Amino acid sequence: MRNVYTVAQVNAYIKNMFTQDYMLQSVMVRGEVSNCKYHSSGHIYFTLKDAKGTIACVMFASNRKGLGFQLAEGQQVVVDGSIDVYERDGKYQLYAREITRDGAGALYERYERLKRELEERGMFAPEYKRPIPKYSKTLGVVTAATGAAVRDIINIARRRNPYVQIILYPAIVQGEAAAPSIVNGIRAMERIGVDVLIVGRGGGSIEDLWAFNEEIVAQAVFDCPIPVISAVGHETDFTITDFVADLRAPTPSAAAELAVCDWKQLQEKMAGYASDLQGLCLHRIERQRGRAEQLATRLRYLSPVNVIRTKKTQALLLEEHLQNAMEKCLDTSRHRLALYVEKLKGLSPLDKLNQGYAYAADSTGATLTSVDQVSVGDSFSVCLRDGRISGKVTGREHQNR
Amino acid sequence: MKKTTQQDEELSLEQAFEQIEEVISHLESEEITLEQSFQEYNKGMQLLKRCNETIDKVEKKVLFINENGGLNEF
Repeated sequence: MRNVYTVAQVNAYIKNMFTQDYMLQSVMVRGEVSNCKYHSSGHIYFTLKDAKGTIACVMFASNRKGLGFQLAEGQQVVVDGSIDVYERDGKYQLYAREITRDGAGALYERYERLKRELEERGMFAPEYKRPIPKYSKTLGVVTAATGAAVRDIINIARRRNPYVQIILYPAIVQGEAAAPSIVNGIRAMERIGVDVLIVGRGGGSIEDLWAFNEEIVAQAVFDCPIPVISAVGHETDFTITDFVADLRAPTPSAAAELAVCDWKQLQEKMAGYASDLQGLCLHRIERQRGRAEQLATRLRYLSPVNVIRTKKTQALLLEEHLQNAMEKCLDTSRHRLALYVEKLKGLSPLDKLNQGYAYAADSTGATLTSVDQVSVGDSFSVCLRDGRISGKVTGREHQNR
Repeated sequence: MKKTTQQDEELSLEQAFEQIEEVISHLESEEITLEQSFQEYNKGMQLLKRCNETIDKVEKKVLFINENGGLNEF
């Protein structure tokens, strides 16, 4: 009679076999990372694979300190952990405690370690950074004598300022001999005493650039009393030397631009200064002249000659006013006279005569206005429009009006 | 260090430029008298002249350090 087992029982049995296997409890597995997922819980799930197979892996959040880099697809790694069964799925997987990079990855770890160490020693600290002089006369270059890097540096430096003395130390920048060669170059530059120093090389793999991650190179750059600009590889490559240098340039060309001032700009700057100085001085003189002129005008205005002239003008003006006023007065009178003449014309007795009136006068010619002025028998005359007639008073009587 | 003593003796371009900027800001200020402005102008032009003298105008050949530490033309 054969036993029938539950799934759970089978899984539990297998799990127990794994747990009791000493080797499976601590195993190092080499492979390539794929299907890597960082879960929000902090656990990392991935698959380790090589040419012949795959194994599921998990690194729990609690073990994350065993991973010193960002895990990513395609990385060659060595996972240290245990192999155990996940009963729910009936699957075994590798539980990672520590993940290290393999090959280039190992170099990378050495890099990380040295970087941490030097950083802790304070060698990257901003207070040790020397300012790069703006107007260097001599430029030291420690790099390979051939290749794009040295060509770019020389071309750009000379284009910006052909009067800068460039001194090259032809260094070995790759392989075993590179680090000591670069250190020698830096020391040689110190002896010569250049104003600014570029240390670097063109792009390459992490192995190619490795000399710039060596401690002796970092130390030499740090100790160098000359401001050092690092220019290693491409913009994305960061070496230890970059962190220690006083300034990191993304490329050798950029390093030359940072190290050498632009001659044309320098000339323009100086011309600008000269014209500023001249302009400001002229401006000041101009302003003082303006003030002097202003004062002169005021003085002239206050001079006695001017006062007299002003008074004379004033007198003339007054005279003119007087004249005008007089003229006006006369005009008014003349006008009034004309009016009176018109009025008088209306009142003229001669006019009345025209209308058939007459006036009487006594023998002496005095106008008679009352009957009392004559007595009967007196002679009188009556004046008409075109002459007079004479007569004698024959009677008189009073008449009340 | 050799470099610093050298800088003490001769005014570096950067220092000279700083001083010129100072002169210019003096000239721009309102308080200064005409006499002072002439003095400042003179000082500025002298500084510029010194800058010009400081600037090396001889074109250089690239040199390289040989194995004995000597210099050769590249």
